[in-house]
Order: sequence, then structure tokens, then C-alpha cells
Amino acid sequence: MPSRSDLKRLYDVGAQLAPMTHQQQDWPYEISPDAYKAYLQPPHDVGGQASGPSVFEEKEEELWELNTYVTCEVLGWKGVWNSEERRRIGNNDLGASLYYGFPYYGRWIWAAARMLVDKKHISLMELLEKIAEVKARHAAG
Amino acid sequence: MAHDHDHEHDHDGGHPAAPMVAEVTDFEILEIAVRELAIEKGLFTVDEHRKFTEWAESIGPASGSRLVAKAWTDPAFKARVLADATKASLEVGIDWSQPTGFGTPSDYTEFRVLEDTPTLHHVIVCTLCSCYPRPMLGHSPYWYRSPNYRRRIVRWPRQVLAEFGLILPPEIEIRVEDSNQKCRFMVLPLRPAGTEGWTEQQLAEIVTRDCMIGVALPRADRKADDVRPVHAALRPVPHEEAGR
Repeated sequence: MPSRSDLKRLYDVGAQLAPMTHQQQDWPYEISPDAYKAYLQPPHDVGGQASGPSVFEEKEEELWELNTYVTCEVLGWKGVWNSEERRRIGNNDLGASLYYGFPYYGRWIWAAARMLVDKKHISLMELLEKIAEVKARHAAG
Repeated sequence: MAHDHDHEHDHDGGHPAAPMVAEVTDFEILEIAVRELAIEKGLFTVDEHRKFTEWAESIGPASGSRLVAKAWTDPAFKARVLADATKASLEVGIDWSQPTGFGTPSDYTEFRVLEDTPTLHHVIVCTLCSCYPRPMLGHSPYWYRSPNYRRRIVRWPRQVLAEFGLILPPEIEIRVEDSNQKCRFMVLPLRPAGTEGWTEQQLAEIVTRDCMIGVALPRADRKADDVRPVHAALRPVPHEEAGR
């Protein structure tokens, strides 16, 4: 069980992530037609949106990013999922907060984990136990 | 996400502005967990993962540089490239059906090369995700996948190219090719002045990755992309394993 202070920290962070539109979002009775359209705009369809000048820096690849790429591709190679499931469902249809909030390959590996559970290749409990096991292994050095 | 969170401290009264970067990140843990579970469940083998990793580490922009240099020196090859780039790729050693026999699961095998002219410049993007001619150019740079690049290059290409240091005169038309899941593109730039009589190998050395994306032009006096800020990895792919 998380401690009270752990929970407070989690809620504090979450409260800052939720209002992507800077409006109250607790299930309104009705929304305007404009808001309806805005919500249905897929977050990944960004072409033509305004944004400021940028420094297009080079990001060195993390080992876990290469491994994520390979794992997702090999799962595709072996027919465990197809490209549409990966891109549209797995990597893009996540809601704006998560789409922008995760690193690029973070969305990929999270999609793979979700897919394995959704397709019942593994149970959610197996995944959580494996994560705990890997964490413990790393903590032990 | 090109921003560095390390400096975003608790400066406004107790709001945790950014997540702490733990010793081992949640994504590193999740990646190991997913990979091990997939292997334990027999969804793929360690050998298959290794085979794909070896392929992923073997690709890089040098193949594209060879293709451009050969097209510059061999008009018949250039015609084959423009007619069927997937097939012509075989002549520079790139087989789009690798490493599985049907290509990579996400890249498909349709590839087109966009030829620049003195009055037309091409630049590629994938506005919806990050499609990139991976077998020919290797993995895309992070900025190519970034929402900022995808948002603006299709609407304000001259401004974005200027931020890369490429300022094109107004009489040159800019065509932005939006890649998609079924078809990948790369740019065949103009052969620059001052390279008369050069060998294919000499020419290939000046065709950098950015020239084939279209955010730079090849120059006789430049063998590398302009230096931009580099954001180092926490735990990078070990250099001796990376074949690029």
C-alpha cells in the first residue's frame, strides 16, 4: 500500500496533468459543438498546427529505446500484433496527456505491455510481478 | 521531448514540476519485463530478438549516401531509382525485404526517391507519426519525430529549414512530402558545384543524413551535418555494438 504522502504526491502530479484544456473536465452534462470537435481531434494529427521556433537537437539513443524498437518489431514479425494495432491503437489513441507526456519509445513499450495483457498472452498480475522482480534485481545490483 | 527536466526544480512552492529521474527508469524496467515475458511465453526467441537487433544496428545513412552518389554519376541508375527505388536499392546493397523476408513489420517495402531540381527542393516529414526510410537511412533523429517539426514543416517550411541553417531563395519551390505507413521517401539532392571528376566514394562522403531528409544541402567542403546541440543518453547503446 502506498503511504499517505506517496498518494498525495501522486495526486499532486496527476492534478497538473489532467487539465490539458485548462477547463473543468469532470464529466460535464453537455459540451459545445466546438469542444466536441476538439476532443475528437486525434492528438497525433498535428500537421499544420502552430508552434514556436525550435532547437532541433540530436538525442543520443538509449539502450532501452533500441530494445523497445526491436521487441515491438519482433512481436510484429511473429504475428502477435499488426501495424495498425501498434500505431493507431497502441501508440496514438492514448489521449492528449499521455500522448505528449510519455517519451517517444515510452509509448511504444507501454503499448506492447498493454497488448500482451489485452490479448491474454500474460495476465496483469504476471506483468506487475515481473516488473517488481526486475526492479528488485536492479536494486540488488 | 527534447527538454531537460533536470533543472526544473521545486521552485514554485512545493509543486513537483517534473518527475524525478530514477536510477533505473520505469521504461527501462518495463522494457526488460515485456521482453522477458514475451520470451518466457514463447512469443519470440532470444535468437530472433538478437537477429533483429543485429539488423537494426547495421542500418544507417551511409546506404542512402551511396545511392545518391551512384545516381549522380550513373544516369541509367538514376532512372532506375526514380522508376522503382525499392528495386534499385538492391544495387547499393539494401534489400527492403530484410530482416524477416517481408521487410520490417512497420516499414513495408514501398520506397520512393524525390529528385531535387534547380527550382525545386524536397523535404520529408511524417505528420501523423514518425515514418522514415529506415532500411536506407537508419533510425530517424528524435527531432524528426518531434511534434514541433511535424506541426510546422508542412505549413512554414522556409522558417523551419532556416532554423536548420538552410535558407532557400523564394524562387526555389519547396515541396514537403508527408510519409505514411505504406510508403517511405528520401531526397535526391542536386550534386553541388566543385565536385567535378569526383569518385562515387568521394561524393558519398558529402551526402549526409540531413541532405537526404531535405533539411540541408550537400556541399563540396562538408562531410558531416552541421553541429547541433546533442542531448546525451542516460544509458546509451554501447558504442562497439552500434554499427553506425
